[in-house]
Amino acid sequence: MQDFTNGSIEDLVEFLPIIAPLILIQLILMIIAIISLIKADDTNGPKPIWAVIIVFLTFIGPILYFIVGRRQS
Amino acid sequence: MQWKTIFMKELLEDWRSYKWIWVPLVFILFCIMDPLSTYYLPQIIQAVGGLPDGAVIDIPETEPEMAIMMSLTQMSMLGVLVVIAITMGVIAGERKSGVAELILVKPVRYVTYILAKWSAKLLLVFVSYLVGMLASWYYVNLLFGEITIIEFFSLFLFYFVWLIFVVTLTVFYNTMMKVPGLVLTSTVITIMAMSVLNQIFSFRLPWLPNSISEHITTMLTEGSIPNELWMASAITLGLSLILLLFSRYIFQTKEMAE
Repeated sequence: MQDFTNGSIEDLVEFLPIIAPLILIQLILMIIAIISLIKADDTNGPKPIWAVIIVFLTFIGPILYFIVGRRQS
Repeated sequence: MQWKTIFMKELLEDWRSYKWIWVPLVFILFCIMDPLSTYYLPQIIQAVGGLPDGAVIDIPETEPEMAIMMSLTQMSMLGVLVVIAITMGVIAGERKSGVAELILVKPVRYVTYILAKWSAKLLLVFVSYLVGMLASWYYVNLLFGEITIIEFFSLFLFYFVWLIFVVTLTVFYNTMMKVPGLVLTSTVITIMAMSVLNQIFSFRLPWLPNSISEHITTMLTEGSIPNELWMASAITLGLSLILLLFSRYIFQTKEMAE
């Protein structure tokens, strides 16, 4: 049991270099998708659902929104 | 002059729809995903519960060349799909909404219109792909070993020839159809059909467009540029040129008919 706890803290330190850039990309994607969603007059499908998709589906949510959700004005 | 106006308008539109931000980010994601997860595979296995006692798996050492090819493999699946998705409405969308008519009642040549749209999208794809591959290059050098500048840029540029073809094919279908979704479907089906043809005939005809990434692998392992790669690139560029000429012709006849 003790081994496991030690292991996971070490893992966290070891994982940091891979996770950091990915988290950054996800954050930026999410923020611009949300900004774009708020500014958009009209989307394909209801806005609240898109907001949920963007926030909770890591990476895929924002990409889906940009490709499918935005409606050309 | 007109070319520049439409080109700038297209760039501005891509900026306003945030494409200049999200496409590079998504390409970075695609490019670094596989090299990173391969490198950290042992830790990932450990983190998700580890292996039962006594189980031993040998994870073979990954060569730097193979690691950077992983990025190209991701690009040729997910990357190409994104390229098609951002290009599918470039002309079709404007014709559907009537913007194309507004532009084309002015004395704008069809060639100018198509070329401006095509080059604007190509620039976006080029920059995004460059950013993504640079990120991958950085990680591969850090984690797996050295890829020289010359190796990097030759693989980068040769693969870009394939992306030029993908953009051109999408623009070509754009001039034929008004519905962006149809453009997407037709382009994907065409590329899949070409890949089947390539698998069947690659032994006899080793210079079909889809074979570019295979030849890039050969180039990286052998250290010199194989003749087939030059041939395949030349043929791919030639096909793109022919597609552009056809697009112009089809677009003109379609617009005249309406």
